[in-house]
Amino acid sequence: MIEVSHLTKSYGSVTAVDDISFRVEPGEILGFLGPNGAGKTTTMRVLTGYMPATEGRAVVAGFDVFEQPIEAKRRIGYLPETPPLYPEMTVHEYLSFVARIKGVPGGEREQRVNSSMERTRIDDMAGRHCGKLSKGYRQRVGLAQAILHNPEVLILDEPTAGLDPKQIIETRELVKELAGDHTIILSTHILPEVSQTCQRVVIINRGRVVAEDTPDNLTARLRGAETVLLEIDTNGADPAPALSAVDGVTRVTATPGATGLSKTEVETVQGRDLRRDLARAVVTNGWGLLELRSMRMSLEEIFLHLTTEETDEDEGGADLVTATSSAPEAPDA
Amino acid sequence: MRNALAIAQREIASYFASPIAYVLIGFFALLFGYFYSAILAFFLRQSLQVGQFGFGGPTTINVNQDLIRPLMINATVILLFVLPMVTMRSYSEEKRSGTIELLLTSPLSDLQIIMGKFLGAMALYSIMLAITLVHIGMLFMYGEPEWLPVATGYLGLLLLGGCFVSVGLLISSMTKNQVVSGMATFAVFLMLWVINWMADTAGPVTQAVLNYLSITEHFDDFSRGVLDTKHIVYYLSFIAFGLFLTAKSVDSERWRG
Ligand SMILES: Nc1ncnc2c1ncn2[C@@H]1O[C@H](COP(=O)(O)OP(=O)(O)OP(=O)(O)O)[C@@H](O)[C@H]1O
Ligand SMILES: [Mg+2]
Repeated sequence: MIEVSHLTKSYGSVTAVDDISFRVEPGEILGFLGPNGAGKTTTMRVLTGYMPATEGRAVVAGFDVFEQPIEAKRRIGYLPETPPLYPEMTVHEYLSFVARIKGVPGGEREQRVNSSMERTRIDDMAGRHCGKLSKGYRQRVGLAQAILHNPEVLILDEPTAGLDPKQIIETRELVKELAGDHTIILSTHILPEVSQTCQRVVIINRGRVVAEDTPDNLTARLRGAETVLLEIDTNGADPAPALSAVDGVTRVTATPGATGLSKTEVETVQGRDLRRDLARAVVTNGWGLLELRSMRMSLEEIFLHLTTEETDEDEGGADLVTATSSAPEAPDA
Repeated sequence: MRNALAIAQREIASYFASPIAYVLIGFFALLFGYFYSAILAFFLRQSLQVGQFGFGGPTTINVNQDLIRPLMINATVILLFVLPMVTMRSYSEEKRSGTIELLLTSPLSDLQIIMGKFLGAMALYSIMLAITLVHIGMLFMYGEPEWLPVATGYLGLLLLGGCFVSVGLLISSMTKNQVVSGMATFAVFLMLWVINWMADTAGPVTQAVLNYLSITEHFDDFSRGVLDTKHIVYYLSFIAFGLFLTAKSVDSERWRG
């Protein structure tokens, strides 16, 4: 339903989106996840025909958005990052205007406006001026505007931003309800949102796709194992053989550091706390144990891990360490 | 066309939702009324002189030539101040508030959006002009002006205003800031105006070129009630070119993001 291939978008010298490719199948909800400035909004703007790509192709509902923009736009509902409201219009006037420019036939307009107001629960605000709405209501009017012409494809840029918890849940429910006869891409930085609403996640960072999978798979991929992080003074020796020998260890990755130190990641089978055994192994080898820390990867950490690993050497790496050190420790066995 | 009308209607509603439309219409009516009474007083003095002295003073005096014509020319000066305020927000405000994202992702062509905005601004301008018909109507009540030259004059005002609006839209499409947009538009209008004065001191060839370029020079015939297709073609091509440049500008803004 949506096919993006080798999409690149530069603003002058800044490359906001760099050679991104992904597909979304009909009826699917794709979560678009990434930190601030990752290029989510930029990708969506290209997909909706708001701006042309520097390179690459995007096909939405069978129409190339650069070659047949009008046909593609007819089939897309778009909620931009800032809901595009005219402050001087009432909600009802605004939605009627949107219905006209989206090409909803005159006879169906009133009914489409009313049903989308109902679905987004803004019917009580119909007569209110858009400029006088609260942030959450603006967001909902934006959503009503996106689903108004019953488009095949919905592109929602942070649809739950600014909503209260109850509204967040309702909006997620609405999005799930809409999937099936609509194909949806939604962007967010909230991870639980992805695991709760989306069937598939594309994680992007600095304009590149760093992971693409189902939320469960992504979690499983890194959660299947638990990781213990050690910093050992081995005097230059390789700690891997000794640590691998500990019962329950599945994998050891040792990175030799400066002056005989070694940073070692030890993956262990799930459900066992091997910190005592590992400490003993280090000590019996006569090494100095400088740090020992258990890492349990939550979806948050996977996200951080994926979006910061490119820059492990510089401050990005430091971010990762601070973030993981605040992670809950594994309970003592 | 239906889409352009939807946009034009929204534009008009938005003008009237804020005090801006009323302020502009009032301002236009006030200035026009001032010029009207000043010129009328002068005209009355003159016609009195003609009546008293017969010869020595102006020999003939005519409502069309000596009242309506200077009024029309003065009205073009008002456009200089009022029209930048009509067009300054058209694109700038949409860019600032992000509603441009709605327009550009809807199944509309750039031309439909531009035409909608143009028609919206022209509608507001037409309302301003319509109010001045009251003044002119009074002349018809108390005198016997010819109506055809008056209609020609109004057509000229409409076309001249159209040129200004197309320039205003172009400038508005280039900035998010409506104040900058308004000021720049006013500056450009002034330049277009001044070309005419420069022509007065230039050599014969330059003068011909500058006169041709000057959008006010072309108004002269309209104000005299002379309908010349040459001027109509000039104005229409000016408008078309302005709107074309606006389309280009919207497109290039798109590339830039
Ligand atoms: N109009 C623009 N001109 C220049 N650079 C831009 C423009 N818009 C975005 N960028 C840059 O492109 C990059 C990607 O921005 P984008 O808005 O797509 O990120 P995002 O993933 O939506 O971030 P957020 O989570 O903060 O919304 C950023 O580095 C940003 O500075
Ligand atoms: Mg964004």
